[in-house]
Amino acid sequence: MSDKKKSLTVFKTDRHEDIAAIIASAIIVAIVLIYMAFVVPSVNLNAQQDGKLTEVFVAEGATVKKGDKLYSLEVVKKKWKDNVMEEKHVIQEFTAKANGKVLKIAGKIGDKVKKDKGLIIQLSHQRGTLP
Amino acid sequence: MKILLALDDNPRSLAEALRLARERGATLNALFVIDSTWEMFTGHDWLSGCNSRIGFLEYMHTTEEETAAATAIAFKKEVEGIPGELLTVTGDVAEEIRREAEKGYDLLVMSSPFTRGLEMMRDTVARVTKKLPCDIFLVKAEPKK
Amino acid sequence: MEDKNIFGKLLAIVPGLAIMVGTLFVLRVYVEPWMSQVTLFGYKGWLVKVMSLNYIVMSILLGMFYRNVLFGGKIPGWAEDGFRTTRLFIKIGVIMLGSLYTFDKLLKVGGVAITLIVAFVFGTAIFILWLGKRLNADRSVSSVMAAACGVCGVSASVATAPGVRAKPVDLALCIATILGFGIASMFVSPYIGKLLNMSDYQFGAWVGTGILNSGQVLATCLAFNPIFAPGTAVAYGEIWNVVRVISIPFVVFFITAWYWKNEAAVERVSLSSIIASKFPIFVIGFVGMTALSSLHILGAEGSETLRVIREVMAWVFGVGLVGLGAYIDVREIKAAGGTPLKIGLIAGLLKYLLALIIILAFIPKEGAF
Repeated sequence: MSDKKKSLTVFKTDRHEDIAAIIASAIIVAIVLIYMAFVVPSVNLNAQQDGKLTEVFVAEGATVKKGDKLYSLEVVKKKWKDNVMEEKHVIQEFTAKANGKVLKIAGKIGDKVKKDKGLIIQLSHQRGTLP
Repeated sequence: MKILLALDDNPRSLAEALRLARERGATLNALFVIDSTWEMFTGHDWLSGCNSRIGFLEYMHTTEEETAAATAIAFKKEVEGIPGELLTVTGDVAEEIRREAEKGYDLLVMSSPFTRGLEMMRDTVARVTKKLPCDIFLVKAEPKK
Repeated sequence: MEDKNIFGKLLAIVPGLAIMVGTLFVLRVYVEPWMSQVTLFGYKGWLVKVMSLNYIVMSILLGMFYRNVLFGGKIPGWAEDGFRTTRLFIKIGVIMLGSLYTFDKLLKVGGVAITLIVAFVFGTAIFILWLGKRLNADRSVSSVMAAACGVCGVSASVATAPGVRAKPVDLALCIATILGFGIASMFVSPYIGKLLNMSDYQFGAWVGTGILNSGQVLATCLAFNPIFAPGTAVAYGEIWNVVRVISIPFVVFFITAWYWKNEAAVERVSLSSIIASKFPIFVIGFVGMTALSSLHILGAEGSETLRVIREVMAWVFGVGLVGLGAYIDVREIKAAGGTPLKIGLIAGLLKYLLALIIILAFIPKEGAF
């Protein structure tokens, strides 16, 4: 039997591999959550979509609560409606995901921003919360 | 003279190897390789969770062992009076044939195309003849019905 | 291999794994960004946007290149243990995909997915059993092909083979057929999807229903749209995938029961034992991750935390997909033939096209979430 089962996967059996995958994904997620909640002192909020910065609702040094508006972007929203792609220019507001403090405001109103590029706000968050 | 016959399910290669061994008074060793590459063949099968794959590989191993046993019986019946032995090993078929051929044989007899295990999907002859230390006699396999 | 201690085993994984991670690193960090800037035929980023040559597709292609060209058809011994972690990486990725959903989202789409999957899985299986009879195919060949084309390709054929006493030669031909068909559809589908202006929802639903191998469903969805986020092709395709994977034990039971019904020797087939031995338990991890997401433990949508989790997920998948490519041996696929090829081509194409027609006719472009 050992001859048959050897080297089937890096694990003894496929069932071990399944369990290892569950444990590994739990560990990965736990590491990310702990890192974000307790290790990272602040996060850089880049634009989540391509667009134009239309408003910044907070000032440097201000304290924000979860759900508070941070900034707004004018974006092109694409949505399928009745099987037709609709493109609309809308103003979308982005909020704080955790309590914290505004460290820096780098974005200027009227700036054109690209998704995931270009810092808008740097925010510190309360320890133990997920920014 | 020492002849190595690589066994598959082609009866013509066995018949030719026997004829040569008789004609030349040679020793005839036959090699049956239990194919262990099924695991790699199904390696992309990543969603088969739990024991599907292990059950399958065990089934393939059992099937291969049954074929080995049946081949051994058939070979022993035919080979009477010719010196030599039947060798059964487990591994990559082409690699095992070449490894055995390196042990001082004068001639390797095998069928073309070679159909032992998963080798029917591969060009075994090309893989075996690469750096082969002895002569090779390829026997055309009978077309499958 | 057997007598290596745990340290030795971990060390043996390093070379192969280093190739997989290194390949993805180069593709994601250097090659794809460069390609998206290159202007070809007057279109900036033509290679990525028009040809769908994103890092996911390139990972698979490069994996295939390693195996078939660089390594000469066989992963060498020194890299084998590392490449064997492929399945682990993709399974971790699949489990982490659970974080894209909440239970209410799953419920919205789950009904459609279950209806389509059940209809197509059993419809295809029954069609193949009938077709096999017409083509005078061996009953075990029909059974394995029914499972393979019905549910999820290689996984299902492998799960069914022992129960129906499939011959190795037939099985090898079945697997080659399924893989060949799957790989072809993996590279062709994104273009069809874009040509027909399909939405992510439609595309995920189509390939989830129509592509034979589950591994290729994810890769195809990511080739269409490489973003991991709710509402993307991979988010929808994975729901279909999970339903398919869960259905494997039931299909295996159905086909095995059919096979033994007409055999002289009788073998007792029990659904409970098939479920116990074949249920893919990593699906429990996927559901667990969805539970965490539903309880908002993984951070709010749009948060930096979720962005990091999805970034990690993309890396995990990418590494796995390099390995997936390296398990594709083109010569073995070219050897496909015989009755399995006939059955596979007829049933596979029919399923692929029928799924496309039904999705275009009945599934709206606007996604459910």
